[in-house]
Amino acid sequence: MLTLLLEVGCEELPASTCRSVTRELPKLCEEHLKTTIEELYVGPRRIALLASVPESVEAGPFTGPPEKIAFDENGEPTKAALGFARKVGVEVDQLELVDGVLTFQPGPQPIAELVGDAVPALIKGLSMPKPMVWDEHRLPFARPIRWLCVMLDDRVVPVELAGLTAASTTFGHRFGAGELDVPSAGEYASALRAARVEPDADERRRQIVEGLDALGGWSDPGGVLDEVVHLVEEVTVLTGAYDERYLRLPARVTTTAMQSHQRYFPLEGARFAFVANGGDPDVVRRGNEQVLEGRLEDAAFTYDRDLARGIDELAGSLGSITFVARSGSFADKTARLEALVGQLGGEGDALVAARLSKGDQAAELVREFPDLEGYIGGEYARSAGYPEVVATAIADQFLPDASEGPLPGTPEGRLLAAADKLDSLAVAFGLGERPTGSRDPFGLRRAASGLCRLAIEAGLEIEIGTLASSAHGLLAAQGAELSESEDEASGAIEDFVLERLETLLSVPVEFVRAARGSALTEVGAIAALAQALAGLDKARLERLHTIYTRAARIVDKADDDQSGGVRPELFEHDAERDVLETLERVEQELREAATPEAAFASAEALAEPLERFFEDVLVMAEDRAVRANRLEVLRRLRDAVSSRLGHLAEIGM
Amino acid sequence: MPAPSFQELIARLQGYWSEYGCVVMQPYHTEVGAGTFNPATALRSLGPKPWQTAYVEPSIRPTDGRYGENPFRFQHYFQYQVLLKPAPADVVDLYFESLDAVGIDLDKHDLRLVEDNWEGPTLGAWGLGWEVWLDGMEVTQFTYFQQFGGIDLELIPAELTYGLERLAMFIQGKRTAFEIEWAPGITWGDVYRENERQWSTYNFELAPVDVLTRRFEEHEMECHELVEHRLPLAAYDQVLKSSHAFNLLDARGAISVTERAGYILRVRDLARRVAQLYVELEGGEPDADAAA
Repeated sequence: MLTLLLEVGCEELPASTCRSVTRELPKLCEEHLKTTIEELYVGPRRIALLASVPESVEAGPFTGPPEKIAFDENGEPTKAALGFARKVGVEVDQLELVDGVLTFQPGPQPIAELVGDAVPALIKGLSMPKPMVWDEHRLPFARPIRWLCVMLDDRVVPVELAGLTAASTTFGHRFGAGELDVPSAGEYASALRAARVEPDADERRRQIVEGLDALGGWSDPGGVLDEVVHLVEEVTVLTGAYDERYLRLPARVTTTAMQSHQRYFPLEGARFAFVANGGDPDVVRRGNEQVLEGRLEDAAFTYDRDLARGIDELAGSLGSITFVARSGSFADKTARLEALVGQLGGEGDALVAARLSKGDQAAELVREFPDLEGYIGGEYARSAGYPEVVATAIADQFLPDASEGPLPGTPEGRLLAAADKLDSLAVAFGLGERPTGSRDPFGLRRAASGLCRLAIEAGLEIEIGTLASSAHGLLAAQGAELSESEDEASGAIEDFVLERLETLLSVPVEFVRAARGSALTEVGAIAALAQALAGLDKARLERLHTIYTRAARIVDKADDDQSGGVRPELFEHDAERDVLETLERVEQELREAATPEAAFASAEALAEPLERFFEDVLVMAEDRAVRANRLEVLRRLRDAVSSRLGHLAEIGM
Repeated sequence: MPAPSFQELIARLQGYWSEYGCVVMQPYHTEVGAGTFNPATALRSLGPKPWQTAYVEPSIRPTDGRYGENPFRFQHYFQYQVLLKPAPADVVDLYFESLDAVGIDLDKHDLRLVEDNWEGPTLGAWGLGWEVWLDGMEVTQFTYFQQFGGIDLELIPAELTYGLERLAMFIQGKRTAFEIEWAPGITWGDVYRENERQWSTYNFELAPVDVLTRRFEEHEMECHELVEHRLPLAAYDQVLKSSHAFNLLDARGAISVTERAGYILRVRDLARRVAQLYVELEGGEPDADAAA
């Protein structure tokens, strides 16, 4: 076996490209080089891999047209045969007939040939979400490719791509290391390490974390570590300090200034850590400290200007800031949020929080650091002397912001968070911008899941259909340029939100669908029913399922006119009377059932009378009136069960 | 060696790129938001002819003014702009050598190319590249242009835009731009602080909204007429002037977010027409990729 080295030398690649390449290379290597990667080295200036390959590989056989089509009556090759020969790159007389089919058997192919063909295909096979071109070869790639190093053991394979020819040399650290020879494929990593490059991303990550741990008390709230791993080839973890006067800024302002532009790791106190790619540590530290001081000074300046205006003035200036085109301004949005919070049962501080909630959209600091929206509005409300509960509600308005993330910690915060999500859904659906496939620019799936979680986990009453209608109505009343009617939009929102339950609840989808078939309209109640159905033991579920399906099966098939109601005088059997009597009691109990369990217990009482009914009574009687009356009993029974227990036919028994 | 003054920094960059073979241009005669808008970059990126240029450009951004009160925000500052078309294969090295030429010891500092992609919505232009970090400070925007005026470029240029104030602050070890030594005994603040105060007052408070709204329309109309007369260079000035009128209206808070998109679209449409005409007269392919 030989060791293959493939290195693609690039100008600094985006970290996201480094990550996608790392994911894709193993499969591409198997596809094009028929081998598995032994070592994968990805970093800002190089994509490299090592793999074991045989000295030669069997290629083909490649099959062409059958003999009848390949040769004419005189035995001369046809166009089809010539075409196939051209395709595989040989003359027709180098082809043979195998089992009556024209075949090209190239025999063992030296590995170098395969590599020469496969490498360009492999490189072109990498997906580049944001490709560019840089010269006349117009090869699309994330950043320019500047060199190739392809070797089999100690021999170079002169692969050609985009005007480059592979050599047995690579480049060390950008500053002070220059071009270097790779003695053999297996010595690639050690040659680079001697030239101040750690090619292994996992090793760079380990070194960074080790360095940060040694400093202690580091944090990475913005998750920049994954990117930093691909911003350096040589890891040097350094620390710096900034003036303690900036500690008066809200904590997230300083950490955002450190992380969003500079990719620093906040340490305790007025200190930070960062990862350098070389240079004199003292010089580099001083420079970074100076940069951060500038950033913090600028943030402090902006923060003070916002504070001087105050949250009330900021909130009062929202009329000139558009929320989403065609849906009005943030002032309009604020008015809708106040109305929705009120409708959800909020009063007092909850309404104050709603009124101030979007004030920070007018803040300079949010223009600078969009991630601070919500949080900084809470800070500004606190500074203006509003109660803590108002400040917290404002800060928490976008929660939950991750699928497992926390909910707002206060009732006021939960009302505001629910209103904000409802309004975002109403705006997008009202404008006809529903999410499709992977397109979800407004983050509506997350908003809908958040609403469900607020109902399920925090017990917020979300009458989704009614609320969606109101939210739409508020927009319409403000004169938003809506393209959907209230019924269309609210129906679609209701479906969209309730569909989230299918992924949110850890029960089989059929139980969610069954529960959605009930007459329940409140998200938490629908979720509770789905969970209760899924939690039933098999025997009880079967009994309830049978009650429902036996009635439904007959009723659903019957095309009789709906009669005006059950007429007991048409009954011929006691069993009919028993069923009706039980049903009337059950109907009453189901209306009053506070929990799914109470509803199940009540509905079970129908099993026995219904059993006897089907034994004693022929539903499809000759007499039309009698028949219609019997069907009516069953229809009532079906509807009573389904309205509180759900569309049980969804559940496969 | 003492740190170079602001003017010395400019002189060294001029010297370096002049020696490399760039045509050293002068700032353009009308307001631009960035050196990229100067026709020496914007229009000359188009078409099949090689072109290498370098120049200082005052960057005029009305909304960024802070009355000279915030030492990090200005409505008027300077960029040093280099355009190499086509981009030479060693363009990154050339750039780093230019830092060496202005007195930055490349071995002592931490230099990084960090992904940063550029898009100029009013020009219908975009490119991919980096911001250059010098010990964590962003001192240059480095871009391989891909498209201008909605047209895929035939020869891909590399654009280097140095932030002169940032670079000078760094080299001189100053905390703010006001403290930069412009010439011996004179600071940047001495030269421009009052300028910031007056222009911020004009941009935010006094610029006449009705006049500017009318001017925008007039420049737009004139641009169309000049395109009709097949004079892309003259027409392009009208693109710049309408773009500046839009920026002033924006600073006056006279443009809602909805209207904003409409204005940007109108300027982009002008830029597209001018670019197409320019390419046509230069004898280039109207769309390089479509022709390939």
